Amino acid sequence: MSIYESAVKKPIMTSLCFIAIALFGLFSLSKLPIDLYPDIETNTLMVFTYYNGASASDIENNVTRPLENTLNSVEHLKHIKSDSRENVSVITLEFEFGYDIDNLTNDVRDKLDMVSSSLPDEANTPIIFKFSTDMIPIIVMSVKAEESQSALYKILDDNVANPLARIDGVGSVSIAGAPEREINIYMDPIKMEAYNIPVETVSSIIAAENRNIPGGNFDVGNNTYSLRVEGEFKDPRQMMDLVVGTHNGANVYLKDIARIVDNVQERSQHTYIEGQQGAMIIVQKQSGGNSVAISKAVKEELPNLQKRLPSDVELEIMIDTSDNILNTVNTLSSTIRDAMIFVVLVVFIFLGRWRATVIIAITIPFSLVASFIYLFATGGSINIISLSCLSIAIGSVVDDAIVVLENVTSHIERGSDPNNAAVHGTNEVAVSVIASTLTMWAVFFPLTMVTGMSGVLFKQLGWMMCIIMLISTAAALSLTPMMCAKMLKLQKKQSKFFITFYKPIQKVLDIIDIKYAIAVNWAMRHRWTTLAACFGLFLVSLLCAKGIKSEFFPANDNGRVGVSLEMPIGTRIERSQEVGLRLTKLWMDRYGDQLIACGFTTGQADENNTFASLSDNGTHIISFNIMFVPSNEREKSLEILCDEMRADLKMFPELAKSNVMLGGSQGGGMGGQSMASFEIYGYDMETTDRLSKELASSLREWEKVTQVNISRSDYQPQYIVDFDREKLAMHGLNLSTAANYMRNRYNGALATYYREDGDEYDVKVRYEPNARQSINDIENIVIYGSNGQPVRIKELGKVVLNEMPPTIERKDRERIVTVDAVLAAGTALSDGVNYGQAIIDKMDIPAGISIEVAGSYEDQQDSNRDLGQLAIIILVMVFIVMASQFESLTYPFILMISVLFAISGVLLALFITGTNLNVMSMLGSIMLIGIVVKNGIVLIDYTMLLRERGLGVIQACVGAAKSRMRPVLMTTLTTILGMVPLAVSQGVGAEMWRPLGIAIIGGLTVSTIMTLIYVPAMYGIFAGNGIQNRRRAIKKQRELQAYWNENKETEQLKGKDKKH
Amino acid sequence: MKSIFITFDISHKEKIVDMLTHNSCRGYSFFDQIQGRGSKTGDPHYGSHAWPSMCGSIITIVDDNKVAKILKDIEAIDKETPQLGLRAFVWNIEQQY
Repeated sequence: MSIYESAVKKPIMTSLCFIAIALFGLFSLSKLPIDLYPDIETNTLMVFTYYNGASASDIENNVTRPLENTLNSVEHLKHIKSDSRENVSVITLEFEFGYDIDNLTNDVRDKLDMVSSSLPDEANTPIIFKFSTDMIPIIVMSVKAEESQSALYKILDDNVANPLARIDGVGSVSIAGAPEREINIYMDPIKMEAYNIPVETVSSIIAAENRNIPGGNFDVGNNTYSLRVEGEFKDPRQMMDLVVGTHNGANVYLKDIARIVDNVQERSQHTYIEGQQGAMIIVQKQSGGNSVAISKAVKEELPNLQKRLPSDVELEIMIDTSDNILNTVNTLSSTIRDAMIFVVLVVFIFLGRWRATVIIAITIPFSLVASFIYLFATGGSINIISLSCLSIAIGSVVDDAIVVLENVTSHIERGSDPNNAAVHGTNEVAVSVIASTLTMWAVFFPLTMVTGMSGVLFKQLGWMMCIIMLISTAAALSLTPMMCAKMLKLQKKQSKFFITFYKPIQKVLDIIDIKYAIAVNWAMRHRWTTLAACFGLFLVSLLCAKGIKSEFFPANDNGRVGVSLEMPIGTRIERSQEVGLRLTKLWMDRYGDQLIACGFTTGQADENNTFASLSDNGTHIISFNIMFVPSNEREKSLEILCDEMRADLKMFPELAKSNVMLGGSQGGGMGGQSMASFEIYGYDMETTDRLSKELASSLREWEKVTQVNISRSDYQPQYIVDFDREKLAMHGLNLSTAANYMRNRYNGALATYYREDGDEYDVKVRYEPNARQSINDIENIVIYGSNGQPVRIKELGKVVLNEMPPTIERKDRERIVTVDAVLAAGTALSDGVNYGQAIIDKMDIPAGISIEVAGSYEDQQDSNRDLGQLAIIILVMVFIVMASQFESLTYPFILMISVLFAISGVLLALFITGTNLNVMSMLGSIMLIGIVVKNGIVLIDYTMLLRERGLGVIQACVGAAKSRMRPVLMTTLTTILGMVPLAVSQGVGAEMWRPLGIAIIGGLTVSTIMTLIYVPAMYGIFAGNGIQNRRRAIKKQRELQAYWNENKETEQLKGKDKKH
Repeated sequence: MKSIFITFDISHKEKIVDMLTHNSCRGYSFFDQIQGRGSKTGDPHYGSHAWPSMCGSIITIVDDNKVAKILKDIEAIDKETPQLGLRAFVWNIEQQY
């Protein structure tokens, strides 16, 4: 018993099976996390090697190079980049996508073990660090405070950070911009000198006094008591009364030579929120956590946290990544809903019966929901890709059901009873339904095998489509016949509503049928003219291709902008703050309500703050975090806003460098702004510096370039104390003791920790701030020789101004400078790259130096190549499926050519709408291959059927065209209209999938119209030739036979003669 | 005793069997999925790509008095859905065991 027969006979089993699938699907849906993109596995590893005291070039030669040479042999390595800075070498290994990062980590570790013995002795063991997208903060909160500013760190740490960290899924909570408490003991250098008490003495005395020491146990009578000395300070001021030395027989107290300031760290980051000082709280999720759920939990907790805070501390969400995700997902969900409505409407208009419409429509939810089971099983998430996949699928899942239903209806109309009609009607089309599903599989299965960045996106889509198609076919072969058997019946009398509503529609459809049949008839009689016209259009559309710009990935408008500003190196923090505040005022005045949050941080990060120290920081660096309202609530796109900000920054001559980052972080890859990157390889730093500056200034001249960044930073000014070793030796000192003395006076000596309420605070002893302000002050530092004699630094050496070489960057084992040009909104990446290439061609590049285009253009080229290969594989697979189905090589060939018209449709649509060619529109074009040939299959299949029934070529073509136009139009319209909501949606994130929708609509519309005319004409040519060939062959055969009959005897004799 | 050979579009099968039962005719032999075409009208039933539908046939041996009624019923079914195709032929049974 076939599947459809048993389905019709066992309606309960069939419907319950599908309900079970739906239940599983809905259960999975409820468990699925929501995210913006599919989980992109990390493909980078970093290797940190600390080598204290080594300069950048020492690090490069002694650490980075040996490590690079060894690590280069790790498998699947794509690029190896390194930064050699003072004290540290950072090597970034970028692997090909799709390999298990844990295995790669082990490989890297093995290689490091091999090489570590050849590293300098002083160098620490290399540390492997895995960077993943999970480390990107999911929520950034701004904190405004007034009186509580000085105690802000403790307040936030106790009342916000700790409770938040306890929320399930939250990885780490860090506080930025709120300096930690520190007890500073500022020594007066002149008094110290007078009393002859050095910093070291004071610091060791404080350390020795601030102790609790257990004295053991002792017995009194029957009891044992413990003995303790409790000397820890209860109040920092107690330290002032310590005796730190004697002078002329009198005690010298600490208060005589120093003052105590119980305040905050001297060097720290400061954060300003909307012009007011405050702090930022950064929440990161645990690896694999559900960002949306976590940020929901965090937001729910906020009111409670606010209650615990002092009244002047105001807590607000500044950046919430889940907002963008939710808005995007909501927009996409509503396009899915719209698509479903459109599809159901189309089906209703064409079929004119509500029962038939219900039967078709019910397959949509079942097939779509089934894909959630796959997502749940493989740990996927609801994201842009999986949702757009659903949106694409809606139009296609109904196709199979429509074919089955149509045939069952025709059986019923011929007089079969519904049960039999359902079984036999399905039986007749089952093979072609399966074949058409196989063509879809031929398209989507190869998608699961794409590697690289686009592979991450397409893998999920490919699998989901395959599964949705499988379920939809299963439903078409079991659920649809079952429902047809139960619900359809021969309509003997039309209802009044049906007549008034449906008759006009039917009339229009009938007219289209007739007109189309006439057109096909004409085309059949003017085959070559028709073909010439079709290919003419194809050539015209190729001309349009010149006007289409390309980019890698559409920029995602998430409302976030990051601005990173650099003042000249060494600018004081006060100066940076002032510039930051001016910019804040400028932007807040201009954008007003459009701005949700605008805050900046400046200053040197504390070593303990991992989040802050991962990014660039320093007193001269200002980093802005700006959040705009969602894209559908403002007129200007984020790209334009960024360009405006860049124009503003040009008016601040005091800025040495500025970088406005769309989306909040650097990276033109996915979702960022188009950026043309040029890599200059070469060993000589001076030449590469010169070339990079030349290239950057030429690029800046072009009005389409809004910002140019050079990756190599400027030489940093620094003071060097150049000790004279002989003089040091005369005083019984060596270089490190002398340097330590200096460090203790300037940076401060960490004397001890002051404990209060279970928290520890640093107690630092150092010179008064006003005694640390000039070269003179440095030169006058007093240090003590081994005999206790004081001596000034200027007697031991000299202080000179010097420049520190910048970080040495390398890529693939060569020194490199990267020049990034950010392009203005609406400028295609290809234009930027071409412009840059033209400049490079004109430049005089010395031997040994090469300039290459890299960055997102390289990614784009890679993915274009991948997609190109994919398209070829798909074409071959589709051809194989069709050739097997038709048992012919010519008919599939006719259909494959119709793919050309899909291409011209895509090109025309992109050209007319001014959309860029990117990964999303290419994806759409690839999917078209399957959808387009499906239309052709339907036409050719029926033409062949009519020919088998004995009709002539022209009659068969016209007959097939007339009879199959409605199904073809119907399946095409469901797909096109299913895409319309995607193509026109204006909501948050719509810019991501609009190119996909436009490409599919354009390609499908043009290719369907062309297919309807071109396929019959082309079929006519091939079939006509076939008939002629066959006739010729028959004629030849007949002539041969006649000849044989006439000359049988002579021919046989000839043969015999030859034998002799 | 007469033999009735009924040949029909396969989707008639249940109706024919019901009709025979209704006429208290218990025994029959059914040939499933056979090919055929009508002498004058009616689509061929080849189970092929061009003509996907198939025939079924039933041979039943009935008492002489039942034949007229059965043929009448068969005609009624055929009139209802002339496009599907349904024919019946009757001949004598010479012997049986």
